[in-house]
Amino acid sequence: MRAFLLDQIDRLRDHLAAQRSLFTPQFAAGSSELSWLPLSHNTPSAAIERPLLATYPAKQFFFPDREILFQFDGADFKETLPKPAPQILFGVRSCDLCAIAYQDQFFQQDPYYQARRKATLLVGIDCQLPCEGGFCPTVDAGPFVRDGMADLVCHQQGGRWLLISQTSEGEALLDGLNLKAAAEGSISQRSRQEPQVAAQFPSAAHIETGIQRINQTQVPAELWQAMGLQCLSCSGCTNLCPTCSCFTSYDRPVDNGFERERCWDSCLYDAFQREASGHNPSAAAGQRVERFWFHKFSDEYFKTFGRYGCTGCGRCEKTCPGVIGVHSVMKRISAIL
Amino acid sequence: MNGLMTPQLIRITEIYDDGEASRHFTFEPVSGIRHSARPGQFFTLAIPGHGEAAFTYLSLPDAQGRFKALIRKVGSLTSALFQCNHGDLIGFRGPFGNSWPLEQLKDRRVLIIAGGIGLPPLAAVINQLSTKESTPVGLIYGSRSPADQVLKQERLAWHTCMPILETFDHPSSRQQLTGTPLDHIQQMTAKLGGSPEAVLACGPEVMMNAAAQHFIQNGLPPEEIWLALERRMHCGVGECGHCYLGSSTVCADGPIYSWQQLIRLQSQTTA
Repeated sequence: MRAFLLDQIDRLRDHLAAQRSLFTPQFAAGSSELSWLPLSHNTPSAAIERPLLATYPAKQFFFPDREILFQFDGADFKETLPKPAPQILFGVRSCDLCAIAYQDQFFQQDPYYQARRKATLLVGIDCQLPCEGGFCPTVDAGPFVRDGMADLVCHQQGGRWLLISQTSEGEALLDGLNLKAAAEGSISQRSRQEPQVAAQFPSAAHIETGIQRINQTQVPAELWQAMGLQCLSCSGCTNLCPTCSCFTSYDRPVDNGFERERCWDSCLYDAFQREASGHNPSAAAGQRVERFWFHKFSDEYFKTFGRYGCTGCGRCEKTCPGVIGVHSVMKRISAIL
Repeated sequence: MNGLMTPQLIRITEIYDDGEASRHFTFEPVSGIRHSARPGQFFTLAIPGHGEAAFTYLSLPDAQGRFKALIRKVGSLTSALFQCNHGDLIGFRGPFGNSWPLEQLKDRRVLIIAGGIGLPPLAAVINQLSTKESTPVGLIYGSRSPADQVLKQERLAWHTCMPILETFDHPSSRQQLTGTPLDHIQQMTAKLGGSPEAVLACGPEVMMNAAAQHFIQNGLPPEEIWLALERRMHCGVGECGHCYLGSSTVCADGPIYSWQQLIRLQSQTTA
């Protein structure tokens, strides 16, 4: 790990964009939505300096909402692995980086995910202020970028930036920038600063209590069922969740044959588990809502992944039309006793 | 060589009707690539344009790589499969999942309980156990009616080397046993020469759960009761999420679980 000084973050961004395709959260013309878009030059970096989270996490770069798995040409099955051009994701927040690390483990054996992931370098950014609805410190997913989660990390220090390389690939990207090494102690100064930023987040006691009660199965089935009634099965939460990974697949006719496409699915759909026989192990909406939160907060998954399946981004709360996003659910669970 | 998600071609070499809306299929490899599998594992069949679904090995791949499946027509993919003829090429992926605990069953008195279309997932393990003299094994096979029974040829062979009771919800003659497999456990225990020391079951979950509870009440340890579960399996490699059971995915960690494991998984959630 080495640290450099950087006067302007745009200089780094443009330097990287000259080497590979670069995507970064931007407001598209006329839109108030912060989206992952290819860099258009002279875009101001306002979205980088404010603690704003892109509407969508970065998972679509590695696990796209739709992708072709193979083709059948009438004679044989042909695997269609993606061949992505080298790319950089610039300005990834710590919560989303933790989610990428989680999916890196989950999709370890998946050649489609891995092909996209291996073509990508990650430039993370430390959040200096809480974002709306975010609670990353509670689930050890921020506000500063964790070790080993990005190739480069940008950290604002006073009016300047500290640029930390976490991988040799990341450091190689800096060739030609002629950056000065940061003063000794800048990295430890950053470490000391993190608890101060974390302390500015609103209380997340309801999240902590909720995690405990989910793991002790103390949430009554009736409460899950009541929350299930509020689930519209819209899949907003599962689409926006940076760690959600369920998919389904179907065959689509093309010239001279068929192709198999996989697309995001949602464990909150009523037929998600329905079998050919009609048997459905999760026919009740309450079971499905419980399943979703079990998957996010169970210690069973923590054991496997070294972290919870929730990285505290708060997107589910913002998008849920039924008011059963993470804060609403955990507040109700923490109020039961 | 295709990866985990892409099927390889296999050829259908034999088809015959075997029970209500059910057919016996034999497959052989096309590319010459043979695979091996263990009793209880499963594979997927893909029919271009109709998708893909999971099926169990009725017989494991032989030296030429040929294997069999018993398939009931229940949906669009199996309807398309029933339109196929000898020589047709379709897609295959596998083998997937875990297998019956053969090592643990050595020298045990084993009772096998099958309900309806739950018999085929037990066939490969019955074939292996019924030929071992050291393992006394008996089968109780429950069906709705005689017309619903499957695996006629296999059952004829098994009758020659092991005790089998066939039970019916709706028998067609007075000689046939009426009721569920659970109603006839005493009779099988007598034939086996003692209470079972291990139980394997596959069938409707209600039946399997009732069987497990019966043997638990009779003192059989939960780690000696094994159930093969049905869940919706798409990918076979624990990724797509459809076959979750608590923190486990049935396609990768199952489909066979001990009652001990199932109790633990079921206790993880409340609803």
